Amino acid sequence: MSAVASAGLAAVARTAPAAIEIERLSVRFGDVLAVDDVSLDVADGEFVSVVGPSGCGKTTVLNMLTGLGPVHAGRISLLGRTPAAGNPEVAYMLARDCLLPWRTALDNACYGMEVRGVPPAERTARARELLARVGLKDFEARWPKELSHGMRQRCALARTFCLDAPVLLMDEPFGALDAQTKLQLEDLLLELWSARRRTVVFITHDLAEAVALSDRVVVMSARPGRIVADVTIPLERPRQVRALQKDRHFLELYAHVWEELERGLGASAEAVS
Amino acid sequence: MSAPRWRTVAAHAAAIAAFLGLWETAMRAEWLSPAFFGQPSGIVAFLWDGFIGGRKLWKELGYTVVGTLASFVLGSVAALALGLAFVMFPKIERALDPYLTVLNAMPRLALAPLFLLWFGLGLGSKIAVGTSLSFFIVLANTVAGIRGVSQDLVTLSRSLGATPRQVFFKVTLPSAVPVIFSGLRLALIYSMLGVVGAELIAAEHGLGQQLAYLQATFNMNGVMALLVLLAMLGMVVTQGMTRLERAMLRWQ
Repeated sequence: MSAVASAGLAAVARTAPAAIEIERLSVRFGDVLAVDDVSLDVADGEFVSVVGPSGCGKTTVLNMLTGLGPVHAGRISLLGRTPAAGNPEVAYMLARDCLLPWRTALDNACYGMEVRGVPPAERTARARELLARVGLKDFEARWPKELSHGMRQRCALARTFCLDAPVLLMDEPFGALDAQTKLQLEDLLLELWSARRRTVVFITHDLAEAVALSDRVVVMSARPGRIVADVTIPLERPRQVRALQKDRHFLELYAHVWEELERGLGASAEAVS
Repeated sequence: MSAPRWRTVAAHAAAIAAFLGLWETAMRAEWLSPAFFGQPSGIVAFLWDGFIGGRKLWKELGYTVVGTLASFVLGSVAALALGLAFVMFPKIERALDPYLTVLNAMPRLALAPLFLLWFGLGLGSKIAVGTSLSFFIVLANTVAGIRGVSQDLVTLSRSLGATPRQVFFKVTLPSAVPVIFSGLRLALIYSMLGVVGAELIAAEHGLGQQLAYLQATFNMNGVMALLVLLAMLGMVVTQGMTRLERAMLRWQ
């Protein structure tokens, strides 16, 4: 199937136009082929997770979307344009909270808006509102060293959502948290996301997390990273991540994605041998 | 002050009093010669005469303090400027690095005779020696601090759209402040070392010059008094820097 034909099919299949289009993307680091011929469309307002073994190029794909790396082959379009660093339509979140240690929680929540030139009064008001929504109302004046891991990541969530960007790129944002805190923050993310649906690309190696949060889960193989499966998650929204953990339908989907992932791992092992 | 803290202070006071008492007794009983060790009562008398009876020591202290502060400010400002230039234009650093390494390896007090010829017996030569010490310490710390910035924070800022200028002023510089500060604290101590050292070699005024004079005239009470004074001065200087650091770096 040609690239044009598959893009056409995707447009027919979904009513919303694609916010992100990745066509036949390949990325090399020296002699290593990190990403091999990856094509992926994400519809406007869609929550897509990308899962795969570590080193499979998930983060590389995301970095390409932020415009931080050079594309070697293929084409990427984000809201109709080639990605560039600092695109105001994109907000980015990492596993490390990346809070500036010399700024209070409030000033950290303001940081993204500050860099993007939002006027001081407006950014303080927005940051206060978001900090309250992530449960840090009473911690505005605290330094990052005084906050727990979970609280720091809540603050990073507030910083991300303060930007009010139509596209969210998240690279294992909850990867460094303990299981309980992780579930809390997943629910918090869904809550913030459902209030105003943005397009989300969510990188994770936690399949349960991917299935619980997403509309679609894209499975990548081990290096070189290829897409080996694209599973639609038809669970109803709004979802409660904690309640889902015992849901039968959820567990079936989880098992299904697991199989796809193992198949992907097997396929690349054969390719190597 | 809490009770345990009181007890610690009292214990230290008792230990010092016992030591001074033993020292005084040893001299009065002539177990040891006061000509070599001085005696506490004589040291106190010397300080009293210098600061309260007469005013002579104030002036000498003033010379040393002014020299130290001037060396500190000159050396630090120059080093901060050069350090920033190094980070912005790595070519400058590559070009200058071998020369700076050689200069830094040289015992700086050995430059004192040269500086005395160039800048005279007055404050100028003392400031030159002090600056030659403080400069290198602050330079090394400035460069290390700026290089040590967390790449995660830089990546995040870049993806948020920060310009290189914003990254520098909002991320790199603030993250370097603690390292630069510890360099500044050390630089202040070394400025004093340079100034007093140069005064010992040749000077018209200053605590170092007095120390050399008192030693040459076998005034051991005076020598001991000045050593105590220099130790106190060093303490005040470090404490001041620590206070300032704590106030400025509350986030640490």
